[in-house]
Amino acid sequence: MYPQVLLKNRKKDRILSLEEYREMGGYKALHDALTDESFHPRQIQELLLDAGLLGRGGAAFPTGIKMKTVPDDAPHPRYLVCNADEMEPGTFKDRVLILTSPHQLIEGMILAAYAIDAEIAIIFIRREYETAARALEQEIGRAREAGYIGKNLFDSEFDCDIIVHRSAGRYICGEGTALLNALEGKRANPRKPPPYPTVKGLWQLPTEVQNVETLCCIPHVLKNGVDWFKTLAVSKTGAGTKVFSVSGKVNRPGCYELPMGVKLSEIIEDYAGGMLPGSRFKACMPGGASTQFLPESMYHARMDFDDLKNAGFRLGTGAVMVFDHKTCLVEATANLMVFFARESCGWCTPCREGLPYILDLLNRIEAGEGEVEFIPMIRQMCSHMNYSYCAFAPGAAAPVESLLTYFEGEVMAHIENRGCPFKIGKVN
Amino acid sequence: MPKLIIDNREIEVPEGIKVIEAADRAGIYIPRFCYYAELGAVGACRICAVKFVDGPVKGIEMSCMINAQDGMVVSTTDPEARDFRRHVIEWLMMNHPHDCPVCDEGGHCLLQDLTESCDHGIRRYKGKKRTYVDQYLGPLIQHEENRCIQCYRCSRYYQEFAGYKDLGVMGIAQRIYFGRYAAGVLESPFSGNIIDLCPTGVYTDKPSRYTGRRWDYERVPGICINCSLGCHITVSARYREIVYLEGRYSGKVNGSFICDRGRYGFFYANLEERPRQGRVRGEDVPSGRAITMAAQRVKEVSESHGAAAIAVIGSGRSSLETIAALTHVCKVQGWRGPVLFDSRVSSESVRTAVSCIAQELAVSMKEIESADFILTVGADPINEAPMLAMAMRQAWRKGAGVAAIDCRSLDWPFQFEQVTAAPDDMADFLAALENSETTVISDRFVAQIKSIAAKIRACHRPVVVCGTEITDSKIIYGAAGFVKAMRQAGQEAGLFYTLPAANSYGAALLDEIGETAEDLIERIESGEIKALVIVESDLWDTFSDRQRLIQALEQLELLVVADFMATEILHRADIIIPTLSIFEAGGIYVNQEGRAQWSPPAYAGGTPIKITGQGGHPPRIIRPDIPAGDISPAWRMAWWLADRQPPASHDLLLDWMGKTFPVLEKAANFTSEGIRLYLPEARRKTARETGGRKIQSLGEYLLLPVAAVFGDEPMAQRSPCLEGYAKHPEMWMAASDARLFDASDGDAARLQLPYGPLELTLRLSERIAPGTLIVYRCPDLFWQQFARSSRFIVPKDRIRIEKKA
Repeated sequence: MYPQVLLKNRKKDRILSLEEYREMGGYKALHDALTDESFHPRQIQELLLDAGLLGRGGAAFPTGIKMKTVPDDAPHPRYLVCNADEMEPGTFKDRVLILTSPHQLIEGMILAAYAIDAEIAIIFIRREYETAARALEQEIGRAREAGYIGKNLFDSEFDCDIIVHRSAGRYICGEGTALLNALEGKRANPRKPPPYPTVKGLWQLPTEVQNVETLCCIPHVLKNGVDWFKTLAVSKTGAGTKVFSVSGKVNRPGCYELPMGVKLSEIIEDYAGGMLPGSRFKACMPGGASTQFLPESMYHARMDFDDLKNAGFRLGTGAVMVFDHKTCLVEATANLMVFFARESCGWCTPCREGLPYILDLLNRIEAGEGEVEFIPMIRQMCSHMNYSYCAFAPGAAAPVESLLTYFEGEVMAHIENRGCPFKIGKVN
Repeated sequence: MPKLIIDNREIEVPEGIKVIEAADRAGIYIPRFCYYAELGAVGACRICAVKFVDGPVKGIEMSCMINAQDGMVVSTTDPEARDFRRHVIEWLMMNHPHDCPVCDEGGHCLLQDLTESCDHGIRRYKGKKRTYVDQYLGPLIQHEENRCIQCYRCSRYYQEFAGYKDLGVMGIAQRIYFGRYAAGVLESPFSGNIIDLCPTGVYTDKPSRYTGRRWDYERVPGICINCSLGCHITVSARYREIVYLEGRYSGKVNGSFICDRGRYGFFYANLEERPRQGRVRGEDVPSGRAITMAAQRVKEVSESHGAAAIAVIGSGRSSLETIAALTHVCKVQGWRGPVLFDSRVSSESVRTAVSCIAQELAVSMKEIESADFILTVGADPINEAPMLAMAMRQAWRKGAGVAAIDCRSLDWPFQFEQVTAAPDDMADFLAALENSETTVISDRFVAQIKSIAAKIRACHRPVVVCGTEITDSKIIYGAAGFVKAMRQAGQEAGLFYTLPAANSYGAALLDEIGETAEDLIERIESGEIKALVIVESDLWDTFSDRQRLIQALEQLELLVVADFMATEILHRADIIIPTLSIFEAGGIYVNQEGRAQWSPPAYAGGTPIKITGQGGHPPRIIRPDIPAGDISPAWRMAWWLADRQPPASHDLLLDWMGKTFPVLEKAANFTSEGIRLYLPEARRKTARETGGRKIQSLGEYLLLPVAAVFGDEPMAQRSPCLEGYAKHPEMWMAASDARLFDASDGDAARLQLPYGPLELTLRLSERIAPGTLIVYRCPDLFWQQFARSSRFIVPKDRIRIEKKA
């Protein structure tokens, strides 16, 4: 059993109360940071940078660097936005994190806000997470009463309030810049940086957007130190733990906090209870629907941002979706594409029109109407997604591209047999 | 100034412009759908992809999203970029219907052109096309959403540029829909621009639906004469009628866009009722014969009563050529006139404004977009000069403050601060702003005036916009004085007047006397004037005392009316002479900033084939000439009426104008952007106090008719498609006054006026000046009876309020 950090206090059916959180050492990091006069908020940025904390929302951008891009003389108010619009298919770690310990997130947010001197913190939460939103609202109230949120925190000059905002309910709202437009009451179309949100974000003011899991890590880094955080990982370059959302053809799907760099095989066999009886591992998505399929050859790969990146894959959100040998990956990919084609914001042409086009071709292949020339067409269209407006379309193309790279035979079998081999019983 | 290479051509461009614009400057066309210079670059359509071969940016990028930088090497013809663009077209054509043969955009469709030029020919997509339900958007614009390629131009224009909210984008992904939340008439008076903007056939011109292809039309650059701004338009004509008008780019006047009044205000030229032949005492005669007979009768009157017994009336809707010809003929013949203004007040106001405007003070409408503060005094752009409101909005979008001194409840598509002042008080407010002298104004305005004054002082490029309709010459002088004072204080202040008609400025340039119709009526009554020649003017529509007008006309021995519209006064004429409209004769019009602009003829004239063919198709009436092709422009007619020979050609006419009128010296050689004409110093009026202030006493109300965008412009009023756009008769009252009547919004107001009762819907606003009653002019209302030839004061006991049920 690896050390548990973020999910250490996970209770069955209830959240960790404020008192319990305090007993476990909660809000100590915040107290120390705000009361230690020799401690400058900028040091939080340095600590997080040294700790190697990478954004857990999927892009793995170093948290410390993002904070440093808020200019010293930037105008006020500044905003910290917690992105809890968790809509990446297969991902459910943020919900578990909030419902485990809302105060862990609240403390992380106040600390992150302190690091950039932001006076308004906003939790942008997926509207399906109503239970979590209510829990947060309730616990924010308690934290405010206890003096962790509000004016002159711990008698310092620092003010910070937290607002819970329910999302407009579309996948694209989780994209950092589209999220800001949604908060402003506009259509959730992404913005094209520069300027980056840390310079001109919400209402054109400096805004830092961070994922729930990233923010949850911050109190622990401050409390236990940079070296401790680094040693949590088992890969060379990784740091900290990672909360994996495991789903698919495994015996025990669920949320598991494991060291950064844990092997995929270990997650599946030791924690998710192995493959279902009669199922063999065929492939998995390592980090949600917008990552490439990991083929069987990657079964023992280390689940770390750098390791997977170097092998040509992405860890994404760490949402491990496991497919077995009886699953048709053409159908599975088409299923993902239904989601992406539906959730495109409709702003740019490649994404709005290209994804439904790819979906149509995949559906035709699956239905036995596929032609050999569809494969280069799909490949070319996937590569054209790189010229779309934001990262949505390249993400949507990732599973399709990896399907054609690692499972071209399966796709060809559909075309040659004029139908899905899994449906007409040619493969067992 | 960055230097870059596009397609092997080295160009130097200003800092901060996008690569697509840099290419435009070099004459290299990069495909675009979402990009439109005046709407900016947003990177949505991805069709402007080019290859950055070398320099600070590498690879395929959108040329509308990258600033032109030093050392860039760009290829628009790179195979990779071309291949991508071909795929973008393929994507856009996945759902676009192949209905080009029945689509009005066909032939000038950007999507059609780029589909061809980007080499997309064969449809590979095997799926179904998505379809939408179209919406009724009113009588001007046809909606066909299936054709949409989601370039977002319409919603960005409508909401961001123009500032209206009732058309926009809904839904996401492939379910995106551009339209209104529910079907209905578009609310913006600038809605027609989405027709010009749409790169395909989603929005097409409704009145001209299915009439032809772009290449069928005679297309000519023109000038709009539906208000004093002189916006640039493109005129399309076919089969002897005007088909539609579009906005035409002008870097000095209107930019790319025009208002709906201008776009649809041309139908007077096509109407069947329009005079197309001469008429003498009820009998149709050829146009030339009518002129000869009129000349004969005028000569007779002149012989029996003297030349001074003949008077001529013209107007600001005539071309500068016509006004010049009339002025000349009156002078050499000894006739009275030409009278070019309706009333003493408007004559005084317009001539004062033209006298105040000078080279160094005047700003063009386009320059208003870069003002950092705009103060309006007695001006309501949206109703008086609509595109001015758009220019002001662009300044506001860039951060300019806007303040208005006015007695009306102004409703503009941007934020502004209003100082609610009665017409008599506006001059004091203006003075208070200029010299912080606040003793003359009511205490409750002092703080507001001081705050506006501080804002104006703090900015670099303030512009004062001053109306000439509800203001007097004191205010008009005051506006110029304020601008001069600011310029002396080092600010780059600008002055902008709005005038009542397209050529009011031209009329004021040539009119040295400033006589008005009222003066003439007096002389008819006294028997001095025996013959009246009315050219392109309608006393019936402009003279307030109709009873007096009728009696005066009866006293005349001869009434000659020459016009291109079937005006009311035309039906009372002894001799009718048809004239040519701007579309057939062309003409120079001098806009309110003094910019003389030439609008060439768009077609040769004649009765539209739709009328001569009597609905038959194809029209089979064969004749050797053009029906009603013998009509002369009014300027020629002017000479013939005096039995003199006009200059033989338009060029000779221009030469003659320059020689005869020193102020028009430059008129003959101007560019496409026109030339600015100003009164010489010697002819400028000097400031003088207008008569004592006429403060009405308590319990009296000043009834003030004001302009309405679709209500009172004599030409646009005749467009059948604009009929539903005129306001219903309404009377606006200050909310504080309404309490005295125990009246509420929506009640019926009944006014007992000398000509009988007037029924109006009562509207209330906090922003109406107390003691003022505002009535927007509309065709359903005999507003002429209280026109501002005299101040129309209504005692309280003549106003009855009936509660709404």
